[in-house]
Amino acid sequence: MLREQGFNAFVIVGGLAAWKKAGQPLESVPGNDLVKLPTFN
Amino acid sequence: MHDFMALIERHGYLLVSSIVFAEAVGLPVPAAIGLVGAGAAAASGILHPGLMLLSVLLSMMAGDALLFVLGRYTGWALLGVLCRVSVNPETCILRSAESFYKRGKATLIIAKFIPGINTMAPPLAGSMRMRPWQFVRLDFLGASLYILAYFGVGYVFRDFLATITHGLQTAGRAMEEVLLLAIIGYAVYRIWLYRKNSVYRVVPRIQVEELARRLASENESNVLIADVRSHGYYDPGAARIKGSVRLEPNNLAEELKNFPKDKDIYLYCT
Repeated sequence: MLREQGFNAFVIVGGLAAWKKAGQPLESVPGNDLVKLPTFN
Repeated sequence: MHDFMALIERHGYLLVSSIVFAEAVGLPVPAAIGLVGAGAAAASGILHPGLMLLSVLLSMMAGDALLFVLGRYTGWALLGVLCRVSVNPETCILRSAESFYKRGKATLIIAKFIPGINTMAPPLAGSMRMRPWQFVRLDFLGASLYILAYFGVGYVFRDFLATITHGLQTAGRAMEEVLLLAIIGYAVYRIWLYRKNSVYRVVPRIQVEELARRLASENESNVLIADVRSHGYYDPGAARIKGSVRLEPNNLAEELKNFPKDKDIYLYCT
């Protein structure tokens, strides 16, 4: 879909797991990006 | 079915309870068939119906309680594991979650009958902080309904099942061939589904090392790394690639309105 709309998109092989394994830098997901699950209590 | 009934006769309580427990914790075993067989065995006087029902009820509730506790303490990580065998884990998690939210707590009562939701409901309930005793009450109702339905079918239609079993024995070889063809057909269908959902075939791929080199050598303003996970965003403390931005795959059309077309976009998931 990205390519169809003219974006120059690539897929990182192995995703986050491969990135971690290669020792590349990470950061915590920002609090305001976290999706809060609805809770029953 | 005849062999299965012979097994039930010898190891009935342990066998059926183990099958039911295994299904409750997400293993791909046919608990419904075990319950139907147990019902038929109980109707034949091979097994004590009350003891059998109590045994399978406790087994199912023990499996559900285990997933509830794990869901409570591991959050969406467990759902990711349970959906790993799915063709599209992302869709599997979201479909289960949406269904649970839409129907509310009462989902637990009917969840056992809904493929895809049955195993997910207890850990979802745990993740959503349902009170333990409330979970136990609703799970008791759901497990009882499920067990009684299949056990009852076996109990009531024992003679009919015996007729079917006899017919199967008569046409044994033909059935084996049909079953083999069905298994092959199913395997081909799964492979077709997997290939259909495989986006990697049409989008260029890049190795981590190559991307790291590009980031080090090129102007970073020409590069955008996008995290397309959904369930990675439910657990506090979750990590992502440094400098990446979120791209919600279930709202892609809307999200892309704010994405630059003059940059190379690198997508990743788990």
